[in-house]
Amino acid sequence: MNAEMGFKLGHFQSMLLFALLISIAFGFLSRRRPIDRVKYIVWSLFLFLLIGVGIGWAMYPFSH
Amino acid sequence: MADETAAPAAPPQDSRREMVAFVIGVAGWLVPGLGHALMKMWGRAAACFLTVGMLVILGAGMRGNVFSSSGNDAFDSLGYLADLGTGTFYLVARSLEKNGADVSHAGGDYGTRFLATAGVLNLLAALHAYEAARGRKA
Repeated sequence: MNAEMGFKLGHFQSMLLFALLISIAFGFLSRRRPIDRVKYIVWSLFLFLLIGVGIGWAMYPFSH
Repeated sequence: MADETAAPAAPPQDSRREMVAFVIGVAGWLVPGLGHALMKMWGRAAACFLTVGMLVILGAGMRGNVFSSSGNDAFDSLGYLADLGTGTFYLVARSLEKNGADVSHAGGDYGTRFLATAGVLNLLAALHAYEAARGRKA
């Protein structure tokens, strides 16, 4: 995998990376104490994935 | 009779602080994390630099669309503004994408979102640094 050839990521991998990076950034920007940051990052990541997968399933009937 | 509705002139110290905050905000926009680094907020600086950098590298690596100023419609212009939010990393994204964008696959489409998100996230971080430099609780 290199930038010139292009990354080959699946849908879930892309979503996971996106959610992780955004959660880390939000956690560091919005909380001061390390423990609060970790809690925020874990909770935000969980909600990102839950809502992402949930919306994916909600759209499933319209894909046929 | 003096105009009582006019705001009192800001003391010199306040205007200097505003100027420093503005410089910190612009620095944070130009180089992700630099605004926080100038205020010795090392954790936030590293987090901003790494997350924005990773989003740009992934977005360009997935062959997302790096918008240019010669957009055809409003969406292209908005995409350009979002991409510009990464500051100097916009040039990094352009240099990484030597083969051009490929949005015919889902990966390229995701890459476009990664790049736009990197820009908007960096603008948010720069605003956060600006507000912190003004003395707002951060």
